[in-house]
Amino acid sequence: MMYKILLAGDGGQGIQTLSYLICNTAFKNGLEVSHIPNYGLEQKGGVSMAYIKISDKAITYPKFSKPDFLLIMSDQARDRTADYQQSGVEIIDIKDHVDFFKENNVEPYSRNIFFLSKISEMLEKQEIIKKQEIFEALEEKLSKKRGWEENHRVWNLA
Amino acid sequence: MSEKQRQFLTGAEVVVQACLDAGATQMYGYPITPGTEVLTGWINQVDKLEDKMYLQTEDEIAAGFAICGAVMGGKKAFTATAGPGTTLMQDAMSMADGMRLPFVAIIIQRGGPSSGTVIYSQQEVNLAIHGGNGEGMRLVYSPSNLEEMYELTRLTFNNAWKYRFPSVLLSDGFLMKTRQPVELNFEIENVEPTALVSPEVQKNIRNIYSFEEELRLELENQEKDFNKMAEEVTKSESYKVEDCDELIIAHGIVAGAVKEAIEELESQGKKVGLFRPITLSPFPKDELNKLAKQVKRLFVVESSMGQLRDLVKQNLDSKISIEIDGLYRPAVGIESEEIIKAINK
Repeated sequence: MMYKILLAGDGGQGIQTLSYLICNTAFKNGLEVSHIPNYGLEQKGGVSMAYIKISDKAITYPKFSKPDFLLIMSDQARDRTADYQQSGVEIIDIKDHVDFFKENNVEPYSRNIFFLSKISEMLEKQEIIKKQEIFEALEEKLSKKRGWEENHRVWNLA
Repeated sequence: MSEKQRQFLTGAEVVVQACLDAGATQMYGYPITPGTEVLTGWINQVDKLEDKMYLQTEDEIAAGFAICGAVMGGKKAFTATAGPGTTLMQDAMSMADGMRLPFVAIIIQRGGPSSGTVIYSQQEVNLAIHGGNGEGMRLVYSPSNLEEMYELTRLTFNNAWKYRFPSVLLSDGFLMKTRQPVELNFEIENVEPTALVSPEVQKNIRNIYSFEEELRLELENQEKDFNKMAEEVTKSESYKVEDCDELIIAHGIVAGAVKEAIEELESQGKKVGLFRPITLSPFPKDELNKLAKQVKRLFVVESSMGQLRDLVKQNLDSKISIEIDGLYRPAVGIESEEIIKAINK
């Protein structure tokens, strides 16, 4: 098994945090995992990407040219990942969720939680990690911080 | 920590741990991406320790000469730098070349020339090996994964102090920023530092000579010592080379992508092996020549315009006539799919 995930968004949208929660949970489950962040010179506002590989075998190289799953969280992230939007790649794109976010009052700061919940669901379907385990990692990281109730609501919405 | 335990670490965290375990006592440096995390990681670890220190200098030139001074006084000092910082570091490293100082540098390659890009390349091979004026005899290790990076960082310190040649751990921002599970090999004994000069041991260690002949003799002796060291420290990896028709040559993290590609090529019925120099200097030429005699083609894969290829050509026995092709992708990562396509072309 080798599952490749590419997360892409704007700097500040929490791409690296999502990546860390997924990878650390995979690590705790004894899986082989690699995470490599990619961002430019900008302190804020540039594209932030995370390449993740999860496997039951040793990983010798952390990058890839075709992911199994791609998350796009902004317009510039969509442009930047154009080469990765190939057939056979499962894609979740923020543009397809604009109305849903409006109808359900999902604030921009919680949208990454919505996508993390979606990704966790998918990883459970693939029998890689259980959704509950990623939720527990999220809870450990954010439950004592401001906005946790809203984040928890958004996780369940997904 | 004495036993192996599974940890989830980045390359920078691994390097800092290795420097601590190697018994390094001081770091002098100037922050530059993608090497900054080594400086900040070291500061976080040693800030409250009385026997270890750090200094963020005004630039890499100052950091480099601080290393020269510290190691002459018998202190295990090191620096970490990248890109244009590696260029500036050459002034002090060249002095270390001339004076045979155990200068330890962690060089984390980024794109060039000049400020270039900030994360990745394999374009600092020439600079790491031959950056100064003169021939610059240096020990240069290129790790391919995080566990090896730990061991080679420890060896960089040990061999710098054992053989007294400037020693470099040459890596890149991909490896430095990658977070992976690791089991580090802590069972490595340290070579203890000794002062090159002290009130008891007064010695004139020179980097300038009045007469040409004096310098020539000194360099000849250095070369003799370097060749002797080469017999003991040269390292390489040969992967799936038995009965292979083609030999891919790659170093550092790129060799990891090559291994992925070889697995796929094998399933396509192709017999392809990998030769990976772990020491880029001294270069493992005996192993290279042995393998070059067995195969039909050498194929170099690297994230530069041919710095590794040039090393291969320099070290290839002149009696061996063989085709050398390659995939040269300066300043970008190389994925296994690209390597498979290039081999099958």
